[in-house]
Amino acid sequence: MAEHYSSFDRRGWRWLLQRLTAAFLIVVLAFHFMLLHFVNHAAEITFAGSQARMSQVGYFATMLLFLVTATFHGVNGVYNALLNQGLDGTAKRVVLALLVVASAALLLQGTRLALALTGMDVSL
Amino acid sequence: MSTQLPESERPDADGESTGTSTAQQGRLERKRAGTAERQAREESETAGEVETVPLEVYRYDPDVEGKRRPRFDTFHVPLEQGMTVLDALIYARDEFDPSLTFRHSCRQAICGSDALFINGEQRLGCQAQIADLDHPVKVEPLPHQAVEKDLVVDMEHFYEQMRSVEPYFQGGASEADAAGEEQLQSRENREKIKMSTRCIWCGACQSSCNIAAGDNKYLGPAAINKAYRFAMDEREGEDVKDHRMNVLEQEHGVWRCQTQFSCTDVCPKDIPLTEHIQELKREAVKDNLRFW
Amino acid sequence: MSQSYDRGLVEDFGRWREFSAGMWAWVLHKFTGWVLIGYLFTHVAVLSTAVYGSSIYTETIRELESLLVVRFLEVGLLAVAVFHILNGVRLLFVDLGMGLDAQDKSFYASLVLTGGIVVASIPTFLGGQV
Ligand code: SF4
Ligand code: FES
Repeated sequence: MAEHYSSFDRRGWRWLLQRLTAAFLIVVLAFHFMLLHFVNHAAEITFAGSQARMSQVGYFATMLLFLVTATFHGVNGVYNALLNQGLDGTAKRVVLALLVVASAALLLQGTRLALALTGMDVSL
Repeated sequence: MSTQLPESERPDADGESTGTSTAQQGRLERKRAGTAERQAREESETAGEVETVPLEVYRYDPDVEGKRRPRFDTFHVPLEQGMTVLDALIYARDEFDPSLTFRHSCRQAICGSDALFINGEQRLGCQAQIADLDHPVKVEPLPHQAVEKDLVVDMEHFYEQMRSVEPYFQGGASEADAAGEEQLQSRENREKIKMSTRCIWCGACQSSCNIAAGDNKYLGPAAINKAYRFAMDEREGEDVKDHRMNVLEQEHGVWRCQTQFSCTDVCPKDIPLTEHIQELKREAVKDNLRFW
Repeated sequence: MSQSYDRGLVEDFGRWREFSAGMWAWVLHKFTGWVLIGYLFTHVAVLSTAVYGSSIYTETIRELESLLVVRFLEVGLLAVAVFHILNGVRLLFVDLGMGLDAQDKSFYASLVLTGGIVVASIPTFLGGQV
């Protein structure tokens, strides 16, 4: 019945953002793998090396954006998967809150880590 | 060849044409081979060796003791050329078990009442040729719908989804409508919506969709296609289209489609469902961008 | 009819053999997606050793990389990431309404390509180990 669907919330923005972040992530994830497995072998990674890379503004900014987009894309994907399984009502709101908290924690810790890798002291 | 008379009854089929060309000889030989084949078949039939197709049919009946737990019954139906699964079911019902229950009506892929799960795929019984199927032919009721009896499922939820998109023309785009006159559609526009008008409400697509199964509120491919048919019709006014897009943009609307293509694969009317749903997603995004 | 029979979950998962290309693509995309988001959390957690000093960071990575099982897991991760990327490209095209008729072929192509890339990368990933 039409009434079931009459609330006026437009959800297209999540769909669009999922696609836009995807396009960005395709490039950056491939670059990340190339750089840290082929150009620099994973076993030879040192703090000094990471610091040298993270000290370049462009690289730092890319990595931070990588973190943000990946978090959104991943967590939104999980949320979508649960909606597809019919998640609804209270359970849906709880899951959404949990996912938001988890993302916030990840972003916070990720940013802290990124700053630490530039050599900044971020220990609490 | 199948429509020709048997050679023996044809005048001068093997005429005394001594100086025949090679092409004609070839033709004659083929005719002879055909006759031999036909005779062999007739002989085997008269000998009681009728070719049959094993039909494994899902049986369930809450009112009958032995059928409360679903089981499969096998019927051996005599094969005929051009036989469909529906024909075979009708034969099984008429000759073997009058309690075998299934829906059908038109027998020509028009009414949409006999969508079944045949050899692991949603198809119309009247459209599925036995000759194209592996044997035994396994016939089950449509998945993801509660079974009422044998092959009959409860379609109410599907119809409800169809109705929720207001599946009727609402006009309002032209003066002709206001004046109560005939509303003409351009050729191009008719072409655009042509495929989407073909839906026969069989529910095969909805049954094949893994998301529709998980999320009960998801409109589903058929309803979205129905909405597409009207939203893309130029004879409907802007406000009607807006209203339609509102329904489609719900969380349980177009966004739930995961482009699995199951619906497009099974639709008996070959409607490009996924394509239509994708177009509506882009349309919705464009609409929203305009508002930002 | 007052009663009806609900066949339950067997519906979906009992029929995996009958899945078609688009369905498999979806299943694999979701699966690899779950792995990747799980890895993102783990990755940040492991690298967070950097917060506690440069030598702990370097040593943790060295130690992990010296384990053969970690190397194999990394190959697995590569496979997962490559498939998710390639099928993701396929999905972006589908979203743009392009090549919908070839969606099954493009799925097989992304599978084959994933396999090729992973096999070609094994020496680099296991290098210095085996
Ligand atoms: S869209 Fe195709 S499969 Fe779905 S109900 Fe209509 S005719 Fe049947
Ligand atoms: S009997 Fe009408 S569609 Fe098959």
